[in-house]
Amino acid sequence: MSGIRVENIEKLFGKAKVLTGVSLEIRDQEFVVLLGPSGCGKTTLLRIIAGLEYADKGQVWIGDREVSTLPPRSRKIAMVFQNYAIFPHLTVLENIAFGLRMQKASAERVKAQVDRAATLMHIENLLQRYPAQLSGGQRQRVAVGRALAVEPEVLLMDEPLSNLDALLRLEMRAELKRLLAESRTTTLYVTHDQVEAMSLADRIAVMNVGQLVQYDEPIRVYQEPTNTFVGGFIGSPPMNFLRLRVEGGQARIESLMLSLPTSPPGQEVLLGVRPEDLEAYSQQQPQSFPAEVRVVEPLGPHLLLTLTYEQQSLKATVPPDFNISPGQTLWLKPQPGRLCWLDPTSGQALSR
Amino acid sequence: MFSLNTRAIYVLASLLALWVIVPIFLIATLAFSDRSSVFAWPKGIFPQHFSLQTIGFFFGVEGVGRAIRNSLVVASLTLLFSVLLGAPAGYALARYRFAGADVYRVLILMTRAFPLAILAIPLAVQFIHLGLYDTPLGVALVHTALALPFAVLVTSSLFLGIPKELEEVAWTLGCNRVQAFVKVVLPLALPGLAATAIFAFVISWNEVFAATLLTLRERTLPAFLLGALNDSPLPFRFAGGFLLIVPALIFIFSVRRYLFTLWGIANR
Ligand SMILES: Nc1ncnc2c1ncn2[C@@H]1O[C@H](COP(=O)(O)OP(=O)(O)OP(=O)(O)O)[C@@H](O)[C@H]1O
Ligand SMILES: [Mg+2]
Repeated sequence: MSGIRVENIEKLFGKAKVLTGVSLEIRDQEFVVLLGPSGCGKTTLLRIIAGLEYADKGQVWIGDREVSTLPPRSRKIAMVFQNYAIFPHLTVLENIAFGLRMQKASAERVKAQVDRAATLMHIENLLQRYPAQLSGGQRQRVAVGRALAVEPEVLLMDEPLSNLDALLRLEMRAELKRLLAESRTTTLYVTHDQVEAMSLADRIAVMNVGQLVQYDEPIRVYQEPTNTFVGGFIGSPPMNFLRLRVEGGQARIESLMLSLPTSPPGQEVLLGVRPEDLEAYSQQQPQSFPAEVRVVEPLGPHLLLTLTYEQQSLKATVPPDFNISPGQTLWLKPQPGRLCWLDPTSGQALSR
Repeated sequence: MFSLNTRAIYVLASLLALWVIVPIFLIATLAFSDRSSVFAWPKGIFPQHFSLQTIGFFFGVEGVGRAIRNSLVVASLTLLFSVLLGAPAGYALARYRFAGADVYRVLILMTRAFPLAILAIPLAVQFIHLGLYDTPLGVALVHTALALPFAVLVTSSLFLGIPKELEEVAWTLGCNRVQAFVKVVLPLALPGLAATAIFAFVISWNEVFAATLLTLRERTLPAFLLGALNDSPLPFRFAGGFLLIVPALIFIFSVRRYLFTLWGIANR
């Protein structure tokens, strides 16, 4: 079967270095999500794997073949493009059947595959339409269906659900996950949406300005970010970072002393803690520190609080019936097992 | 309510349209009238006696048949060469960034800045050497040179309007470059390519200068008419004039939708 391995990929557009040495290994049948801010090079990496763009340095392997110099058609991949790219002169049916027709598949197989893909993407009743008669979300589903229909060994998807409404997206996400697990397709999936990333991925690859910054299981990426970028990028609201003094090998918040995994290089250390990992109390508690409430935002399942501790802003969530108003002081108790420690100068996590 | 300005524009536009349409209308109606109405003065607005007498007379004149045949051959060859040479060049301009692409684009237009009058004599001499003088092929080559800049620029804006991703998807789905072009780009470009082809045909059909200089006996229709016009009767002139404008009219009517593309305003 087919895993994907890219090694030391560098890509220049003119003078701009868009990828600066990306290495990534995707196991056979694994579902990897590529997550990163706009312009960090996700699409470029995908296109290099697909063979639509050539890397200036580095190699691409699919299965046990080095494909760096092969044209796209020889790489046994299918790709869903960010802007759909469905053929305007063909009906939905012919769009989905395109890859199968190129493989000279039998009429029965074409029909079976098209029906399956169309049912899955909920476009069975649109098969005779032309793309101009479809909404953006419908077009996007045609594009995904077209890629699924060829049953590729490797599926590359560039934000395939970005244009669907929240409900449909939720449903498609679950169905895609089920289908791809069933068909055991190795998948590399690009998204901006971290919830999508968390829900779909076996592993998440977080990119920033042309580099891979963390590659791990979703829960580890969430709980143990390797640097402040990952902690800040993933999670909504993002991770809190508090700058604390180091005293005797421990970090100090007020009277609370927290032990560190290793001694930090400087006099200060950065505590990374998720908003939901701060328990809030209106009375002083042991193992807690005081913070002043600035803003209260009711979000439904919980209240989102913006607080300050020694001029450092932080967020916390409390149950929706929590009685609180701006100006009050709360006592926050960090969950001991859920804390990250980072070096404030480099932003990198302290080794555990 | 129309403002004064809008009204003025409409009046001007109407005058302009009349200025173009009236001669065409007169030529067309008189080409299909009988002999007496061709010579009548003042002429009626509407064709009075429909008849094929005038046209029939025209086709009866010696040399006309041959000139029309030559024109057809020359224009068809021009069409073929322009599309076969122009479309690939347009595709390259649209799809690839290469050193000198912009210079190339300007150079293409520059060929139109060369007055044919200067080129004519050396060209005729060369053609005599090559054995192309007084052949439809020779004229077609010159006409291709005239039509090619348009063909290249029009097709390049045509291909620019077809997203590259469409081809790329086709590549990932198993096409090589040629297959992707044939299955995806060509169907989408076809109407525009047809317009380009007809345009080349019309350029050739109406071209008179090169055709006159480079032929002696194998005249094209415009060259033949130019030579015969002064000493031929009125019906001959009307019928000949009509035949000259017909392809252009067909062209305009068939490509109205694509005119914007032809003027180089690609749809993106
Ligand atoms: N053909 C190109 N020529 C020049 N620069 C390019 C080209 N394609 C992409 N870039 C640049 O490369 C960088 C990465 O682009 P890329 O499309 O990979 O980003 P992305 O991570 O997919 O972003 P998004 O999430 O917005 O789709 C961007 O800064 C972009 O401007
Ligand atoms: Mg992108």
